[in-house]
Amino acid sequence: MTEKNKDVHSVSPQVVKEFFKNIIPFKELDEDTIERVAQNCIIDFFPKGTMIFKQDETEVEYLYIIQKGGVKIYLKDEDGMVTLKDFRGEGSYIGALPIIQGTRANLNVETVEDTFCFLLKKEIFLELIEDNPKFSQFFLKSFSEKFLRTAYQELRQHRVAPKTEGTFFMFSVPVEELVKGELKTIPENEEIKVAAARMAEYHIGSLLVTNEKGEIVGIVTDKDLRTKVVAEGRPVTEPVKNIMVSPVEKIAGHKVCFDALLKMMSKQIHHLAVEKQGKIIGVVTSHDIMVLQGSSPLYLFREIVSQRTIEGLYPLSKKVPLIVRTLIEEGAKPNNITRMITILNDHILDRLLTLMIDKHGAPPVPFCWLLMGSEGRREQTFRTDQDNALLYEDTEDERLKKEAQEYFSAFGKEAIEHLVNCGYPRCPGDIMASNPKWCQPYSNWQGYFDDWILRPEPKQVLHATIFFDFRPGYGKLDLGIKLRDHLTEIAKRQEIFLLHLAKNCLETRPPLTFFRNFIVEKDGEHKNRLDIKKRGLMPFVDFARLMALKFGIKETNTIERLRLLYEAEHISKELYTETTEAYEFQMQIRFVHQLQMMEEGKQPDNYINPSDLTDLEKQTLKEAFQVISKLQSIIKDIFPLM
Amino acid sequence: MWPFSLWRKIHPVLEENRRFFKDFDQTKPLNEYEFVVYDSELTGLNPRKDEIVSLGAVRIKDLKIIPNENFYCFVKPKRGLPKDSTLIHKITPEQIKNAPAIKEVLEDFIRFCNGALIVGHYIDLDMAFINKVTKRYFGGPMANPCIDTLRLAQVYKEEEWGNYYDQFNYNVSFNLSNLAKEYGLPEFQEHDALDDALQTAYLFLFLVRKLKKGGINTLKDLYMAGRSWRWLF
Repeated sequence: MTEKNKDVHSVSPQVVKEFFKNIIPFKELDEDTIERVAQNCIIDFFPKGTMIFKQDETEVEYLYIIQKGGVKIYLKDEDGMVTLKDFRGEGSYIGALPIIQGTRANLNVETVEDTFCFLLKKEIFLELIEDNPKFSQFFLKSFSEKFLRTAYQELRQHRVAPKTEGTFFMFSVPVEELVKGELKTIPENEEIKVAAARMAEYHIGSLLVTNEKGEIVGIVTDKDLRTKVVAEGRPVTEPVKNIMVSPVEKIAGHKVCFDALLKMMSKQIHHLAVEKQGKIIGVVTSHDIMVLQGSSPLYLFREIVSQRTIEGLYPLSKKVPLIVRTLIEEGAKPNNITRMITILNDHILDRLLTLMIDKHGAPPVPFCWLLMGSEGRREQTFRTDQDNALLYEDTEDERLKKEAQEYFSAFGKEAIEHLVNCGYPRCPGDIMASNPKWCQPYSNWQGYFDDWILRPEPKQVLHATIFFDFRPGYGKLDLGIKLRDHLTEIAKRQEIFLLHLAKNCLETRPPLTFFRNFIVEKDGEHKNRLDIKKRGLMPFVDFARLMALKFGIKETNTIERLRLLYEAEHISKELYTETTEAYEFQMQIRFVHQLQMMEEGKQPDNYINPSDLTDLEKQTLKEAFQVISKLQSIIKDIFPLM
Repeated sequence: MWPFSLWRKIHPVLEENRRFFKDFDQTKPLNEYEFVVYDSELTGLNPRKDEIVSLGAVRIKDLKIIPNENFYCFVKPKRGLPKDSTLIHKITPEQIKNAPAIKEVLEDFIRFCNGALIVGHYIDLDMAFINKVTKRYFGGPMANPCIDTLRLAQVYKEEEWGNYYDQFNYNVSFNLSNLAKEYGLPEFQEHDALDDALQTAYLFLFLVRKLKKGGINTLKDLYMAGRSWRWLF
């Protein structure tokens, strides 16, 4: 700083120079040129919603550099169709292309928030382009890259690695990991029909064939049954050795799945025997690899249903993420994805509890397995914590009562252990069927809900919210439905209880302030992360729950609750559309985030790092957050607090 | 010159200053006026005994900030630099050792402001200090109409209040940097006269465009907007 500065009028403020020194490509310029740029720029402010450029109309006199705020860039064709091209945030430019080409604005540019821009005279900009090769290269490069993106597409294409990389699992999982259970074999002299019966029994498509010494000499597959038996009219009493393929093609257990697939393709077969230390340990099929690659949920579905042991279920839930990946790549909507995950998890649970009942014998009284929280809402993502409970029928018989208590106490504990082994972490709040408090006969459950609803304590109500999203998951579903009917009936009339819930809804502030920095602050410098579940998604869930309870809606899924509220005209169509879109977009962001973490071998969490998001995603997310304020003011209208 | 005939002759630059505002037309569109956004760093808050240490000003034309047309300098207070003020503006005695006296920069400053409206955050205070010295050395106060961004911010807040929904934010602050934060303006270092002037300029542009939902067109609109504020008078 100059102490005595007679020439005060011609020195540009330090802050202006600092701004240019920190943004690409101006940072490439030397000190004198930066000074010249700073001296020749002016600062303008455009409130949100200002059209800065109008396509084919605006004469572009300046290069606009966004200091703070953001703009959207879009195209309007002759029919008035609007195509969104891009969002630009802090440090981005508008107007470069028309200046270089000497044309009018080629696109519409509108501010999407209050925006401050530095305006640099086009003559100066052209001079810079002419004199600084690095500077001009930047613009030429960005022109070719910048265009043609839309929100979901961008998420899919830029955040989820392309499919070629998606086959990553094929290159890392050794085939021996796909081998399940005992080696399934059949002696070579056994009749063909015995082989067929055994394959049907095990739900498998192949058997290894052994000789008298127990050595594996060949393989028989369902294809052999089709082509050599049925098609040729061969008697099913012939020995298996007549139709088997021999010798059997083998692959070493440590080879990755990709090698197995290559071998299958080159030999035109679907089954390979897996060999480990000179011994055959099982068979891997092309179908196993397809499932691993996650190409179809149906495969996994079938695999779950056909499991015959509890242990066999353990690895299956781990395959769910692979399927989700494919669904995201194919552009499935998040609500469909969560439903798919829910169905798969429900089947695992169904299979698990059925197998347990097979093992321990029928329960003394009917029961219903309750799913809570996100499971109850059918909104699970990856590895959601367990939230469950057990409800069994009341009985007057004291002996039966005691028996039931013992049975379900042990049953609940064992089920939770199995679920943990399946990869569903325990609930940190201990809301699980293994907790005696949440493993109770119907009358006690009804008592719990009566307590929460009729005599609400603020804290208890808070803790209880996840119970209000319960859904019967297994067993005698009527029990759960009866409980739901009961609580729906009493909750809608309990103003105090609803008021507590409403208050709770207003306590989370929409993360808008965070977001203001989000879109404008320089990426990477921001260490802040956003808990998208707590700050972004839960307000929607809480809103839907509150409104559902208030208007006697029994549904638990958030999107469904909103739809029913709209159909019953408790919320406007506009709000319904807005909330659904906002909710689903956030779910999508969360999915992609969690998927990425899992592919990097990390435990998935809900913390979104702004620097991982593109401007477009940030903008869309920001709009989603704005809906939260709207929801809160609706709550305020319905429940005038204080 | 009655009744001030004992006063020394008014300095030509100040005469020029007054001539401009003699028949001042308030009805033109805002972008046809020039504004000078002004901030000063002081040795204290009492115009009777404290002095100016630094002046910062930046021009607005066509409702755009012209950062290059600025006025920025340190001055040496007659009574030295109190330590407690150094703690605020971080200007050290060393920095102003060779700085001119306020008298020496005053003419340039007035010339810089001539023809423009003066904008500032709590501008009355800054003007009290400036006018004290213009009276002493140049024979009278500056005639520029002044606009206080603090008042505009209060009006804006009042406007917002109608549909204001934020249960946590009852403690409203009208401090310059807090306002910048709240409105999402680019933020500058506090307590540097030029940076604060720039910050105020951003705030001014923001408020002028946002007040009355963008319905401020003429200078008169702006004054009326300020007057409608019910606590003002």
